[in-house]
Amino acid sequence: MSHTDFEQLAAGYVLGALEPDDENTFRRHLEGCATCEAAVRELEGVVGALAYTATPVEPPPSLRASIRREVNATARPRSARPAVTAPAQVRPIRHGWTSGLVGRIAVAASIIAVLALGFWNLSLRDQNDLYQQRVAAFEQAYQLLNDPAAQVVHLNQGAAAEQGARATALVSSPKDKGVLLVENMPALPAGRVYEVWGIPKDTEAAQSAVPGGVFRPSTGISLVDFAMPIQPNMTFAVTNEPGPTGSRKPTTTPLILGTAATA
Amino acid sequence: VRGARAYRTLQDSQLVALVAEKDADALEVLYDRYGKVSYSLARRIVADETLAQDVVQEVFLSIWRDAGRFDAARGTVSTYLLAMTHHRAVDVVRREENLRRRRTTDEALEFEPDPKPGVEDNVEAAERRDQVRAALAELPEAQREALALAYFGGYTQREVASLVGVPLGTVKTRMAAGMRKLKDALHEPGLSEEHPPWSRR
Repeated sequence: MSHTDFEQLAAGYVLGALEPDDENTFRRHLEGCATCEAAVRELEGVVGALAYTATPVEPPPSLRASIRREVNATARPRSARPAVTAPAQVRPIRHGWTSGLVGRIAVAASIIAVLALGFWNLSLRDQNDLYQQRVAAFEQAYQLLNDPAAQVVHLNQGAAAEQGARATALVSSPKDKGVLLVENMPALPAGRVYEVWGIPKDTEAAQSAVPGGVFRPSTGISLVDFAMPIQPNMTFAVTNEPGPTGSRKPTTTPLILGTAATA
Repeated sequence: VRGARAYRTLQDSQLVALVAEKDADALEVLYDRYGKVSYSLARRIVADETLAQDVVQEVFLSIWRDAGRFDAARGTVSTYLLAMTHHRAVDVVRREENLRRRRTTDEALEFEPDPKPGVEDNVEAAERRDQVRAALAELPEAQREALALAYFGGYTQREVASLVGVPLGTVKTRMAAGMRKLKDALHEPGLSEEHPPWSRR
């Protein structure tokens, strides 16, 4: 077979119209022939272009959905979408410190949930100061997540805890900073706020408690960032205090509290 | 946050690179660009909506699985995708012999006359179709017929020879000459090149 014959077969080849014996012959030739390979490449462009001569027909929407469904099973998850599932990942409060990766991942999920809920709230409220507050708290939480010395403490005691409130603190002793995530706290009367406290080990709260900021319960999870000297085996607590700025020392019994175990 | 909007500014080859990383949104943008023409071609060849959908789904899932095998040096994404659509649709027609009996030669095997204005809402696809039709119009009738029977009918060269009533060698010559002329006519900037990223829905 002359090379001209092969060149002629290239057209039938790209159209899928060769007889089986011609096809086998051409395939074998193609493996070693750069000229024919280039010809095939160019002619494939014609095969693609001819598609546009078919009368355009809109595919049914179910086709897109069906492809998407098949693909989703093996797709890489989109990182910007954790808000849908994250709130369910807030773990039940357990005793003591949970340091290390597992605790931090749980807290990370909570924080992402808070961020999502926060922005949802914002769209309803459009309050700029609330926005600033939440972003600052989020940034602090994010920094603590990246701090290998940060520890997680679950606040699982007190009257509010028994009624279903949940609170988790993420604190860093070297940085003397912390973030508290709170949800399901009882509603407050007007003029009252919740205040966060850090209470050093073996001391009387009424004298030694260090204030960590105030908040009012909101839809979903509240996030409160604070700065205070973080000491080993410290207790973290939340009390009901007069608003809007809270008290210098706690004036009521803690509604929810938990003590850090030794790391 | 990467939005769908950002994806639509990407070149086809960039989208394929993302698909190779299992990015489902990138595949969906490729579907936005080529799903319709792929479906239109498959439907024309297999003359059955369900089978045409199967073909298109196979094509896109094949790209999903093997995007890493796409070689930009060998051709454009649109060629890769539409040539694959053609190939698979022809396979289906050959497998399902009864499909051929269902349609008349005249209806399925000619390059169609221009559709009515307004049928195509995609300007670029319409432009491309005009170019290809103009190139086809330059071909002698016998070459156009041979190509149409192979391309849309899925007939082999021997079958075309028998349908038209000419020797096999004549069919081979007609197809080769017709394809070469089309290649020369379509070998212009715009047709052989990557699709510009801004023009599609």
